[in-house]
Amino acid sequence: MSQIPLATEARVAAAVPPSRAMVSVIVPVTERPEPLDELYRELSAPFRADGRSFEFIFVTEPWGRSLATGLAALAAEGEPVRALLTGQVVGETAQIKIALGQCRGEIVVIHPAYRRVEAAALTTLVARVESGADVATARRWPRRDSWISRVQTRAFHRLIVGLGAGEMQDIGSGVRAARREVLREIPLYGDFGRFLPLAAQREGYLVEEVPVPQHPHERRTRVYSPGVYLRRVIDVIGLMFLLRFTEKPLRFFGLTGALLTAGGGLILLVLGLQRLGGESLADRPLLLLGLLLVVLGVQSIALGLIGEIIVHLHATRRRTYRIAGRAST
Amino acid sequence: MARTLPLAGNSTALPEAALDDVQLSVVVPLYNEADSVEPLVDAVRAALVAHTAWELVLVDDGSRDSTVAIAARLAAADRRIRLIQLARNYGQTPAMQAGFDEARGRVVVSMDGDLQNDPLDIPRVVAELEEGYDLVAGYREHRQDKLLTRKVPSWIANRIIRRITGVNIRDNGCSLKGYRRELLDRMHLYSDMHRFIPAVAAAIAGARISEIPVRHHARRFGHSKYGLSRVAKVLADLLTITMIRSFRERPLALFAGGAAGCAALSLVFAVAALGIMLRSGVTPERMVVLPGAALLWLGLAVYLLMLGLVGEIALRESRDEIQTLPLMRETFG
Repeated sequence: MSQIPLATEARVAAAVPPSRAMVSVIVPVTERPEPLDELYRELSAPFRADGRSFEFIFVTEPWGRSLATGLAALAAEGEPVRALLTGQVVGETAQIKIALGQCRGEIVVIHPAYRRVEAAALTTLVARVESGADVATARRWPRRDSWISRVQTRAFHRLIVGLGAGEMQDIGSGVRAARREVLREIPLYGDFGRFLPLAAQREGYLVEEVPVPQHPHERRTRVYSPGVYLRRVIDVIGLMFLLRFTEKPLRFFGLTGALLTAGGGLILLVLGLQRLGGESLADRPLLLLGLLLVVLGVQSIALGLIGEIIVHLHATRRRTYRIAGRAST
Repeated sequence: MARTLPLAGNSTALPEAALDDVQLSVVVPLYNEADSVEPLVDAVRAALVAHTAWELVLVDDGSRDSTVAIAARLAAADRRIRLIQLARNYGQTPAMQAGFDEARGRVVVSMDGDLQNDPLDIPRVVAELEEGYDLVAGYREHRQDKLLTRKVPSWIANRIIRRITGVNIRDNGCSLKGYRRELLDRMHLYSDMHRFIPAVAAAIAGARISEIPVRHHARRFGHSKYGLSRVAKVLADLLTITMIRSFRERPLALFAGGAAGCAALSLVFAVAALGIMLRSGVTPERMVVLPGAALLWLGLAVYLLMLGLVGEIALRESRDEIQTLPLMRETFG
């Protein structure tokens, strides 16, 4: 994205943190956590070396209560570590939101509970945010993991691009840095935390992908259960819908419905002509198929209309644009 | 009046501080119009030389050329000119809505940023609004466009829009329009609604609409940003607007109507099935297709009814926010 003079001015005026802003590192503890105290020592090293003030916020769900014990010891030693324990299983996105509400750093780094990139990448990302990016997201590059993992990543991004949900080289890295205010403004809910950069891009924020070295731990081949892949695909489809059609549901449901109805209508037309030719319809199961398609089509269109009503009713309280800057005397 | 004022405050100063009591706001969305901005601003100044309290709201819709730099310079030099920069390219409707939200005038006039509309028409639009209309739409009398790729499709589209929405407007595509503030307060544009503003205004607020002929110039700079392939989208949007006009207060009525139709079809198939059974003595267990068809329609009828109920729930949830009564004014007194 090109930098436009006014945008920079407005940003300067708005809230670019001073160059030594405090950093909050948020670690939502979800799948396959590594020992958290070790993780903390490794990830905090570059900030320490940089002489920058920082805090770490680990958010664990009830099942991970025991994981936090090592952290308590660290905190007792005076390390800037906090552990938040949710009362129920809330999912990664909600964990991030909870931590966002608590953190004090002007720049926020989100990092999974396992190692994905070399720790030094965190300071690189933070520097990128300080130099003007709203969101800096890590791209593991060059990839050094097995071809199976790479094929998975490739396929995933093909799907994202193919469905028009956005364009990004490595959405799955899970390591990002951003201004806190930006993160608080991006609408995050459900399971969409992992697509944060796409949502940010959609909101008009400047999102930069920063190539950083992959962590040696990541080079192991990882194959998931089929359910996980299915969930990812559903996530992407949901995201595509939310990004592209939330304001015009009828365009999606209407097109689907029109295609179904047209298919069904064609069948019915052929049958109708045959009926005029004297053939009976009572023993033609094809009639059922034709009608079923028409019915499904009508259902889809009707659903789209309901969607439009809801969107229309909410239009008054929703802003469909974001202002980046103003100029007047 | 003062043409230029010394710079005061920074660029993010609250707009309220700039001008009091603006009567007329001119809203212009800009997208990659670097060449047009300055001539446009000059033309607006010249056209409004007789007006006192006006402002020009330039809305940059994520331009990638030097539009913003030029517009910002112009805004800095004249307190009546304001620039709003959107975070990315949102499209014409959100850009226009952003301008409306920022505009403070009692009367607002919107126009294109590419100089195809002539600012000299602004006073005429305003005068027509003063006649008691809520919305004044310009129509391009001598359109300077290519016949086959622009005029003919536009002619067809306008006919379709007129027929479907029942709002008799010759030229929906002309951006030069005037609005009373009261109308804008009731209208929230989203998606691609800028194409149907008169229809939306009539549907939502019962606006009184007038049309006046306006000048049209061929594009001097840049190139057209519209394509031809929009039929499906436009049709979907039209369907939406028509539905909203008739049913936004009672969605159940729409869906119940559909359900009744489906139920009737169901009945037709059921009667046909019964007729065959009675006439030719086919036993019920050998009859599948026609009863099946009847059930399909019945199922659809029930589905539509339920969907209508969902619509009612949605309406109830936000009724307070659409408690905007139609526009009105006293007829005498």
